[in-house]
Amino acid sequence: MMLSRKFLCSAALAALLTGSAQAEVTVLGWPGGPEEEALRAVTEIYNAKADVAEDDKVELLFTSRDGFFDKLQVDLAAGSTAFDANLIATYSIGRYAPFLEPITLSDEAETVFGDTVLSTMQYDGAQYGVPTDLSLHFLYFRKDLIDALMANDDAKALYGDISEKYLGERLEPKNPEEWSWQDFAANALYFSRSVNPDSPTRYGTVLQMKNLLFNMMVFHSLPRSYGANWMDADGNITVDSEAYRTALEMAKMLFDAGATPADSTSYEYAEANAAYSAGQVAAMVQWNAAASDLISAQPETVTQAPPTGPEGRFTHIHGLGLGLNAAAENKDGAKAFLKWLSTEEAALAYARAGGAPGLATNTAQKLADERPDLVQVGDYASNYGFVMNGGTSKNALSIYEAQAKEFTGYWAGTQSLDEAMSNITASMTELLK
Amino acid sequence: MRLLPKQENAILASPMVLFLLVLLGFPVVLSIIYGFSEASFESLMSPKFIGLENFRLVLQDSSFWDAGWFSLRFGVITALLECVLGLFLAVYLAPLIRKHGWMVAVLIIPMIVAPAMIGLMYRLVLHEFAGPIPYYFYEWFGWSPSFLSTGMVFQTIVVAETLQWTPFAFLLFLTAYQAIPNDIREAASVDGTRPWRMFWKIEFPQMLPTLFVAGFIRFIDGFRVFDNIYTLVGAGPGGSTTSMSIYIYETFLRRGEIGKAMAAAILLFIVAFAILAMGQRLMRRAQ
Amino acid sequence: MKLHQILRWIVFVIAALVMNFPVLATFITALKSPAEISRNPSLAIQSPTLENFMTVLTVSDRLNVYHYLWNSLSAALIGSILPIIVAFPIAWAMARRGYGRNILFPLIVNLRALPLVIFAVPLYLMFSVVNLLDTQIGLGLVLAIVNLPLALMLLVNAVSEIPIELEEAARMDGARLPRLIGRIVLPLCRPAFITTFVFGFITAWNEFLFGLILTTQNAVPMTVGASFFFATSGGGVQWGVAAAVMIVAALPPLLLGLIMYRKITGSMVSGAVKG
Repeated sequence: MMLSRKFLCSAALAALLTGSAQAEVTVLGWPGGPEEEALRAVTEIYNAKADVAEDDKVELLFTSRDGFFDKLQVDLAAGSTAFDANLIATYSIGRYAPFLEPITLSDEAETVFGDTVLSTMQYDGAQYGVPTDLSLHFLYFRKDLIDALMANDDAKALYGDISEKYLGERLEPKNPEEWSWQDFAANALYFSRSVNPDSPTRYGTVLQMKNLLFNMMVFHSLPRSYGANWMDADGNITVDSEAYRTALEMAKMLFDAGATPADSTSYEYAEANAAYSAGQVAAMVQWNAAASDLISAQPETVTQAPPTGPEGRFTHIHGLGLGLNAAAENKDGAKAFLKWLSTEEAALAYARAGGAPGLATNTAQKLADERPDLVQVGDYASNYGFVMNGGTSKNALSIYEAQAKEFTGYWAGTQSLDEAMSNITASMTELLK
Repeated sequence: MRLLPKQENAILASPMVLFLLVLLGFPVVLSIIYGFSEASFESLMSPKFIGLENFRLVLQDSSFWDAGWFSLRFGVITALLECVLGLFLAVYLAPLIRKHGWMVAVLIIPMIVAPAMIGLMYRLVLHEFAGPIPYYFYEWFGWSPSFLSTGMVFQTIVVAETLQWTPFAFLLFLTAYQAIPNDIREAASVDGTRPWRMFWKIEFPQMLPTLFVAGFIRFIDGFRVFDNIYTLVGAGPGGSTTSMSIYIYETFLRRGEIGKAMAAAILLFIVAFAILAMGQRLMRRAQ
Repeated sequence: MKLHQILRWIVFVIAALVMNFPVLATFITALKSPAEISRNPSLAIQSPTLENFMTVLTVSDRLNVYHYLWNSLSAALIGSILPIIVAFPIAWAMARRGYGRNILFPLIVNLRALPLVIFAVPLYLMFSVVNLLDTQIGLGLVLAIVNLPLALMLLVNAVSEIPIELEEAARMDGARLPRLIGRIVLPLCRPAFITTFVFGFITAWNEFLFGLILTTQNAVPMTVGASFFFATSGGGVQWGVAAAVMIVAALPPLLLGLIMYRKITGSMVSGAVKG
């Protein structure tokens, strides 16, 4: 009896709620954070336009960030009509492309964003999305600590001793702008109490070694600067290379020497930021999105492009953007909105509202006063940005996941480097064939 | 008109059977089809029959066996710890609880909080720089264990699970303990039986069925553990904290290998079914 | 005697503190400002604030905690009551007549060992046809499946613990099966109903994955809604808000537990006296 009343109540409520949500063009955005605020702001501008028909007004939908891609996967595969356009990312376009439809951007798009950034939203030669935000990595370091080190001769000598002992090469402290990865490692060791008991910080760096795909993105700028790639031009898997081995060994050496917390194998974004914010870490490589948090927690922080290697300086880049759901109910309306999003008007408004679009130099200059960080991001992206061969393939996400499993296993000591290399080669051969 | 027992049974069974058929009939049939097909998110509507290929893949996957072994160890250890602790608390505190019922409420709080949230909270509580536990270790001893490092992570998640679910065992034991008729106890104490002996000879045998039920439920729940481990440490370095549920979940949603995930689930189900059905038969024979 | 009493109190206090430590730490974190959380990991709060709770309890155009609580409440009630209704009759047949002991019982109990998320896609497809996607009823029905194995186990156990003499006496008086079950067995199972309901409600309330996948807007439950709150900085976790959400989300099942525990313990004692 009681149950049936409950049934009726909730049925009535459900009917009420669905009735009120008559979306014209529904867009599923990246929930929380500056991306959401920026998207809300530009949507307001778009909806206020006189030439946007009542039926084509945009309504935004934000779900949970936890499990976002799991849910999106099921929604898209089952042909959900709950949204017309949805978030896509460079590393997942390949996976979702079968359920999306290519779109046409505005004529300005190329000048506004530049080819590199547009290509982060392409798959199989087709444009699947309009780019909204760009993610890459910075080297964050504590200028106060490095300055003090450079000003002290005893410290310099100790730095030399430590680098000789651990890296087989006597290194001088340098300005982080000139760092190679060897300098990064020497610095990490010098500022760790396990190596240098007088260190002002407990750890020289913090590495994110949790078995999580995003951590592989943070890591692989290092092997890349030693010349690593996922496959060569003929499609042979080249992950088992000197470059990857050198990079993996360097990370393992730092972990074993205690230059990063022993818990690092369970660290991701939040943990690493908490360690750095506590003032117990001298330098680390982290996403550009962390800049404001880290600088406000440690005001002496300076950001810089990641260190350089024998093959140059590199940073992983990927874009977030919006694509068109193939099962959309209002495709034309959604296409119109996405096209408008790729105009200069929209991109500038998006940036002003706090988003982080990857803008071509000329476009970024128009905002140089308000968003100097976008100039830095645009500069790093065009000069150091890279995507591995196969990094936008159908199985790119699975490759990152397989790497996360094998590489963290090596770092944590559950398998040898050779085992990790042969396992990852086998999985990647399967995933990239 | 009198119904035959057989007909009565069928009527009694019908609500549940109908409920399951309506809700799970289609999903189960479709899932079994996927188990024997090359099925991914792209080919949901057009799975291609490939016979036992998925089962071969699963059985050859060392991660599957690792996950099974992990779940088994985790389930057995946590179920034992929870039952021992829960039984002790229920029996030892029962005289107090009879007078102060609110104590039960205090002790069952942990299991009311969502396991996923508990996992998330431990990420903060155990963090070397932001968590209170390492903080007090450093304050008092100038040193702290790394709770989530490779060598300690298993112990840490066992403790976390045990602390959260001991209340479950405690509650079942408490109800069973309080249900023991008082005249049995009174008769024994008239005979001058000492408390320790009373527990082993009289109370414990009375609670044995509940001990089986509690131990069994806690074992299943430990075996299928997912939320708290996944939010705390994920699949672990090299997959070292991958439980069976995490294995199936990642195969299914993260890698999109639906056929393989289904094959793993079917295997798990068959093995568990065989063990349980056999256990039932043995129990009846023993009685 | 006196010493034992003191020892018991000590054991209780230690057990309560240790088992509840994560909850206590969460509560303390919820009362700290974001700045203090990153600066002061200790359990002593320097400047307590209700800021985090205000963030959670304020309705914005996207976040509405009351909506999530209501969704969770309705879905969890369906998900915890329905299994008792469908499982009780068969539980009697299983306990008293061994009906379905070989196949049906292990089959259903084993559902608990399976990660039910493997049924997410077929359920999604099915629900989209019958319009149950993103509704409290749809979510409630799935939660009922999740709870069914535990309900069946606890109810079978409860029926088999009822002294069979009571049923036999009623039979002697000529009671037929519906009367027997309705008048004799049902009242004696009340404590088990309450226990099953409380456990089921808590499980349903805390479920995350189905809540995530089967709802988008209208029926989002509290666990999923909770994660809307704390992912509001650039990918990091806002610990203070996360802690406050957890406390708010745990309150309804906690209240339920508080109200119900008296009934559990109370009825157990009276049942024992009668027995």
